[in-house]
Parts: sequence; structure tokens; C-alpha cells
Amino acid sequence: MTPSPPPPPAPSFGEQLERLEEIVRRLESQELDLDESLKLFEEGIERLRVVRERLAAAEAKVKQILGRDVDS
Amino acid sequence: MGAGLDLFAAASAEGAWTVGEVTRRARAVLEAGLPPLWVRGEVSGFKRWQSGHWYFALRDRAAQLRCVMFARDNRRLPGAPADGTQVFVFGRPTVWEEKGELRLTVLELLSTEAGGLWQLAFEKAKAALAKDGLLDAARKRRLPAYAQRIAVITSPDAAALKDIVAVVERRWPLAELVVIPARVQGEGAVAEICAAFAALGRIPALDVAIVGRGGGSKEDLWTFNSERVARAVAAAPVPVISAVGHETDVTLCDLVADFRAPTPSAAAAAATPDRAEVLEHLAHMGARLARALATRVELAGERGDRSLDRLVGAMTLRLERQRHRLAALGGRLDALSPLKILERGYAVARDADGHVLKRTTQFPPGLPFRLRLSDGEVAARVAGS
Repeated sequence: MTPSPPPPPAPSFGEQLERLEEIVRRLESQELDLDESLKLFEEGIERLRVVRERLAAAEAKVKQILGRDVDS
Repeated sequence: MGAGLDLFAAASAEGAWTVGEVTRRARAVLEAGLPPLWVRGEVSGFKRWQSGHWYFALRDRAAQLRCVMFARDNRRLPGAPADGTQVFVFGRPTVWEEKGELRLTVLELLSTEAGGLWQLAFEKAKAALAKDGLLDAARKRRLPAYAQRIAVITSPDAAALKDIVAVVERRWPLAELVVIPARVQGEGAVAEICAAFAALGRIPALDVAIVGRGGGSKEDLWTFNSERVARAVAAAPVPVISAVGHETDVTLCDLVADFRAPTPSAAAAAATPDRAEVLEHLAHMGARLARALATRVELAGERGDRSLDRLVGAMTLRLERQRHRLAALGGRLDALSPLKILERGYAVARDADGHVLKRTTQFPPGLPFRLRLSDGEVAARVAGS
């Protein structure tokens, strides 16, 4: 029925994790003032929550497509 | 009178034989007298016709024998024998009536050289791929760390696919598997695998592809030694993991792929991170996040900032208490949020540019500033004028 799978939701898991890692690095650099640190911390917690929820809710999907389906 | 040769005794009733009668008779005599047999010789004058049939001669020092191997019989072989190759052939001797020639209809052909025809065909294709740089280590692409969409090119009803699905479900259920069915052995397999690779480019947001099959005989695995398949792998738009047969059988597909896995299960593991490990990593990140903030707050305290002393003290204490729990429970971090501290009655003062005001000297009479409380901000002004 579906000629091709729909694009996955953006941003990807990898991108979210990358941003989280960047937040931790920046926070660890101790170069920000307190207020910026608080903001980054809040963002970090939020991203952590999102990726954990994605992992918890995930269930592997398997689709079978034929070469000609993709062609169309 | 000597017994002269009776020149007419062999004539048919009507006199001389026709050419067709002779060749037909010769063919019948030959086929009755010489059953199918193995012949050893050197290939010479090899020619492949448009029809796919092979024509060549087998030679030894003294004689030669013309041979044909029809497409339906030579299709099973990995490639054509080069002139000069020593071979064994199994064939049926016959007379090709149209040319009046003795001929061997070859049904099977084995090279006697090291590794035989298979090895020769393999080395030839490998050399062609190497010449085009397709075997260079520098070409190999890195596999994605957190694949979300994985294409699988394999036989839809084989154990290999079930193994891949099971591993991905266990390790990384975030992933979506897009199965592109293709025959992996026998006639048409090469074309189907190449078509499947061509389809990869039309799957949006694809991260990685797995191509593979379980173990099998040398002939079964031969599809993956096809130069066409190898070139399709090299041209794939995403990194390719190859898992063909067992560890001991390295195919051209394995050599060209970005990553070679010994089994389909191993390929699935290479394509995905392990959920348990990622969760552990997340918990670690949460702990670092909290520690970094705690250090930042302590730093503010050491600078002798009176106005923040109590906030710092409260937050540090709280972070300390929670730190060991964080390693296991990355998701509980919001309990540490400074906003929770603010809820307990603390406030942060900032000037119009958003800078945190930390010292009494930063509050000249009449200065407008903003106070951040737990549920929002209020505008304020220092008393006096």
C-alpha cells in the first residue's frame, strides 16, 4: 500500500544525544555565568527525559517492501 | 588378378551415398560406440557466442577435439575458462552433421588448476574491483551510532532474516527495519540483489543496510562473489554491512562492504547500539550534568557572593544527597532543578541585560531589576533615589 516509509520524526535520537553531550561538556567547562548554567541544566534535563522516554516506549517495527514498490 | 579394391561394394542401392547419409550414419555409429565420457585437455580458441553458448577446442600434443557447452549447462559455472587452462570435461561425443565435424557436447567442466574455475573467476573479479579502488580501506564508511532505519536485503523466508529481526528487537527497538526481499542463490539472484541495492536510494532517511544470508555450499554463496553484486554494494548510498555464510568464506561482497560480519545476527548487532548500554550512558550523562551544575554553584559561592550563599548551600547539599542516586536514575534529575530551590523561597536578581546581580554594590538606589521566582519574574526597583 505505502510506496515508501514516512520520514522519521526529527531530530533523530543521535542528534538529541549529541546535543545532550554538548550541554554536559559546556556545563563542565564552567565558563558560563550562573544563569546560563541554569538554563543549560534545564535543557539537559528535558533532553534526558525525552530520550529516555523514546527508549522506554520503543518497539521495533518491521516493514517489507518490494523493489518495485520503491520504484513506483 | 589381385583382389582389387571393390570400389562399388559400399555404394547404396542407388549408387553413391549422399553427404547427409554419411554424416547421419557416422553420428549414429559414434554415439552408439562412444558413451558420454570424461576428457582431459587444454582449452584453446575459446569463444562465447551471443546466445551464451561456449565454443572451444580441447587439445593435447597430438590432437584436438572441438567442443560446445550450451548456455543452460555453462550457466552454473562461475566464469569461462581462459585459453591454456587445463580442464576435465564430461561430454557426449557426436558428429555435427552440418559441418561434418566430430564434436563433444560438454555437460560439465572442471579446471584442474589450483582452486579451479571458481578461484580464477574470484581472483579476476577481485582484481577488477581493486583496480577501481573499491577494496581500499579508506573507502569504508563508519556505521551510524544510533541507526533509526535499517534496510535488510535477504531472502524473506530464511533464518537469516529472523535472526536479524530478533537481535534488533532486543538491542535497539527504536529502529525500523525495511526488508527488501531478494533471492540469495540460484538463477536471478544476482539481478535481484542488484535491484534491491538500487532501491536503497529511494528509502528516505535510511541509516545503514545489511545484506546477507546464512551459510551454504560454495555454489550457494557464489552470488556474493559476483562482480555485479560487489559493485552494487560499493555504490550503495549508505554504509553496508555484509554477512554472508560463515567466518571462513570471505566473499567479494564482504570485501567491498563497509563492515563485514560473520553472521546475520552479528550484522544486526553491528548496526545497532545496545539499549542497556545507552541507558547506562544516559544515567552517566545525568550525573555529570548535576555535578557540573553543583560545581558551578560552588564556584559562585567561593567567590564570596553573600547574596547567593544560602542558595548555593542549599543546592549543593541537595545535589550531594542525590548524586549517588543519579548514576542509576538519570531520569530523576528534575528534582535537582534550581527551580525547585526557588520554590522554597529563594530568588535570583538580574539586571535589564539579564546578568545575575550578586553583590550589594550592584544595587545602586533606583536601579530597576528583575527577580526570578519559582513561578515567573517580577520587575523591581532598589529603594531610594
